[in-house]
Amino acid sequence: MPEAALDFADEPPEAQAARIAELNDRYRHHGATSVLQGALRDPQAGKLTLVSSFGAESVVLLHLVSVIDRRTPVLFIDTQMLFTETLVYQQELAERLGLEDIRIIRAADAAVAKEDPDGTLHQFDTDACCDLRKTRPLQTALKGFDGWITGRKRYQGTSRAALDFFEADGPDRIKVNPLAHWAPEDIRAYMDENRLPRHPLVAKGYPSIGCAPCTSPVAPGEDPRAGRWRGQDKNECGIHIVDGRVVRRSEPMNVIVTDAGFRQDDWQGNAVLDLASDTDPNTVDLSAAPGLIRVDFPSFADGRGFTIARQLRLRGYKGRLRAHGHVIADQYAMARRSGFDEVEIAPDLAARQPEAQWQFRADWQRGDYQSRLRG
Amino acid sequence: MPRAFTPKVITANALLEGDVVYLTKDDLWTRDLSEAELLTDEAHADIRLLDAEKRGNEVVGVYLADMTAGPDGPEPTHFREDFRRTGPSNYFHGKQEVRG
Amino acid sequence: MYHYNDFDRDFLANRNAQFRAQVNRRIDGSLTEDEFKPLRLMNGLYLQLHAYMLRVAIPYGTLSSAQMRQLAMIGDRWDRGYGHFTTRQNIQYNWPKLKDVPDMLDALAEVGMHAIQTSGNTIRNVTADHFAGAAADEIADPRPVAELIRQWSTDHPEFQFLPRKFKIAVTGSPNDRAVTKAHDIGLRMVRNDAGEGGYEVIVGGGLGRTPMIGKVIRDFLPREDLLPYLEAIVSVYNLLGRRDNKYKARIKITVHENGIDTIRDKVEAKFAELKPLFSGVDQQMLREIEGHFAAPEFRTASTEAFDDAYAADPVFRAWCDTNLSDHRADGYAIVSVSLKKHGATPGDATGDQMRTLADLAEAFGHDELRISHEQNVILPHVHKSDLPALHRALKAAELATANIGLISDIIACPGMDYCALATARSIPVAQEIAERFEELKLEHEIGPLKIKISGCINACGHHHVGHIGILGLDRAGVENYQITLGGNHTEDAVIGERAGPGFAYDEVTDAIERIIRAYLDVRESPEEEFLDTFRRVGTEPFKAALYPKETVDA
Repeated sequence: MPEAALDFADEPPEAQAARIAELNDRYRHHGATSVLQGALRDPQAGKLTLVSSFGAESVVLLHLVSVIDRRTPVLFIDTQMLFTETLVYQQELAERLGLEDIRIIRAADAAVAKEDPDGTLHQFDTDACCDLRKTRPLQTALKGFDGWITGRKRYQGTSRAALDFFEADGPDRIKVNPLAHWAPEDIRAYMDENRLPRHPLVAKGYPSIGCAPCTSPVAPGEDPRAGRWRGQDKNECGIHIVDGRVVRRSEPMNVIVTDAGFRQDDWQGNAVLDLASDTDPNTVDLSAAPGLIRVDFPSFADGRGFTIARQLRLRGYKGRLRAHGHVIADQYAMARRSGFDEVEIAPDLAARQPEAQWQFRADWQRGDYQSRLRG
Repeated sequence: MPRAFTPKVITANALLEGDVVYLTKDDLWTRDLSEAELLTDEAHADIRLLDAEKRGNEVVGVYLADMTAGPDGPEPTHFREDFRRTGPSNYFHGKQEVRG
Repeated sequence: MYHYNDFDRDFLANRNAQFRAQVNRRIDGSLTEDEFKPLRLMNGLYLQLHAYMLRVAIPYGTLSSAQMRQLAMIGDRWDRGYGHFTTRQNIQYNWPKLKDVPDMLDALAEVGMHAIQTSGNTIRNVTADHFAGAAADEIADPRPVAELIRQWSTDHPEFQFLPRKFKIAVTGSPNDRAVTKAHDIGLRMVRNDAGEGGYEVIVGGGLGRTPMIGKVIRDFLPREDLLPYLEAIVSVYNLLGRRDNKYKARIKITVHENGIDTIRDKVEAKFAELKPLFSGVDQQMLREIEGHFAAPEFRTASTEAFDDAYAADPVFRAWCDTNLSDHRADGYAIVSVSLKKHGATPGDATGDQMRTLADLAEAFGHDELRISHEQNVILPHVHKSDLPALHRALKAAELATANIGLISDIIACPGMDYCALATARSIPVAQEIAERFEELKLEHEIGPLKIKISGCINACGHHHVGHIGILGLDRAGVENYQITLGGNHTEDAVIGERAGPGFAYDEVTDAIERIIRAYLDVRESPEEEFLDTFRRVGTEPFKAALYPKETVDA
């Protein structure tokens, strides 16, 4: 099928910037559906395609597109390294949503024969493999379009914190990000409300799904339930601040572990500074710090909290310092030696690892090579 | 078209001994691949796997391994599973030693 | 030799009691496998293909005869009567049972040994030049500082859950036998213009999926600044290292992505904060440790017996020519005992062989043994007059193979025969190559040549830095082997070049033979070693031999 001429080929950069700014203005206060609806019809957006991996969350955008216009071209990159489950899911989803123009793109046979003849490139150069099987085929396929629709979201990372609905993708194309403002809960809720089928590997603990050789259910050493646990903690965490007062909810209380054993939270101050595990401890404003800082451990395998605690102490923080989240009894001595005063754990963890197991390491000063060497 | 489902067995390593075990039809762990249950239906295999994964106090690292049906029960299709069934190739140790 | 004091003994007893409790808690269900796994790994316990595997540290590769005997006893009692020495100066037991492991650890503690931090995302066993304290070319013995680092890194509360594993190596000699440029941190003991001792600090080297040669972060670090500086590096890495992708989590990627200058700035800033916390006690302790490593009392004796045997016995002479290295004391030699008998599993020693080696170390070697990253055992201090007797005893124990540094002295990881991560076998490939060249009787004519084999991309067999490297991969369910050429592991470390498409399992030995025939053809003289020939002529003659024209055109 011959492609129609592109509307915005050879557009000068200033014109492109102005056009993107106008589009962002026009749709500033719109939701995902109307941004997508508008973009697919707005002459200023040009000819668009949806690029989808048919991964864990892809169904949301595919569904939105299918409702607006099922003839919208959908590009699916088959790296030829995908899980069988993904290929099956792709076909089932396309059928169920009635998508009429799915274009499966692959690396050219000649390129594969030359650069990865035995299919082992990913074993020694993942970047080159991605370039061969993903980036280049996509770039080639996108040449027929003025822009593409992506599922990127602001919450996915700090670099995306300022993500707009419309943005430039090089001089010749734009990107449309209808889900920019969606939170993980919105994704889940949308899938639930529309009864959309989940990628089968999600149930098997794959948090995000790429090519089979480079995707594993969880990071090494990480609890596969860490993800679930995080969500649960958010709902169950006992402390919330409403109108400047600490409000305790009726869910089971977290347990505080100290050298003396388990106890209930006695913190009466009105504010707590919570630090995520990716916080740079040198940027924390200690002059404004309250009397209690909690450092999050999203998984016991994430040891950044120990260095954060030590650095806060090195910088002179004298208040209470609490490790909070998935810390296990065997890490109690490490937490104490790194400068934490106490550990806050969820009730289910406290039930599985009772007080005696934590008390076993209450002698955390014994056998401390580092203190001995520092003198 | 969905791809055809390759038959599989459920396998793991025993928690206490560390050796390779397979799940039988009657939910026992056997050391002998020929006694393992060959799963030919995908939905059934998924359910069996979920149940097996709950037995973390008996075994470690449960997964589905590809097999074919042989005259004496399941046969590995990949050399890794063949080594797991047999033992190392440099010494007569592991399962080959136990079996004598 | 370092001897444990009360503090070390108490620490180890306490740690072993913790692990015993952890094993019990795993069995009773209060620890899930996900939680237990990092704890067992931190104590050296893996779950491999057929069984658990216990990896025991041999810090900086040094053993006494009593320790070697205990290693033999452990292998006999709780394993299948042998042990496997690795490229990281560890010994691995391939068949322990979970409930026996706490007893094995207690047995190790009796001789001041442990399995702490031989795995997991933490600072691993510190390695050092296996000729330390004996080599003629040495500036300073690296073992005391390696012991200091062992103490500092042991159970370091900040660094037990790093983004990824972390390996440190130290050399005290300009001829780098410790592969310092392929470590997360490599330390080279140097002297500045004023003659003061210190370290060149190299960071971000490593093999594996993305091989990188380390970069110099500090060209001269004063001795007393070592621990705060190491602490600064690891601390910066702990926060900055990637945790989203395990293939990008090693410090080599952190350095690569951020640039060595950014890393250096951050490290120096952190170092400035940490330095005042060290009162200097560590340097007093270092001096005390140095006392433990005082050289033995070398004797002066005639070497006549040696000279006579050397002249009279060609087998002895051949063994001397390959297996001895220069010692710094007159009349002494460093003896490398090959664990690479043709057709044997590289790095394996039976309990009886370990006991023999312990006896010989006691009788002839000032009670010292070393384990090299090349998977051989070294008697570092043998007076030449004892060599004939030593050689006779080694022969009786099948330990007198004269192949150190030759084509059959192959480094090989355990590969698919044992390792859960492997994608192909390594051991049988090494066995077949060694047997082939033994049959051809070409080994000594070929001269120095290092073949290194890994059974997966993680490169435990150091294939990237082998003169000939072999990497076993899984190609659509079939073993396939890629060959690299021209790698080098020394102070001029180089990553080998991939020769071309891989070979099937049963084609590898023929392929290696074709490379060797090509080398013998093109070398200028028997004195021109393989690596020198390769540097002179490049890959083409070898590629032509590996991939004859007709098969390329086919």
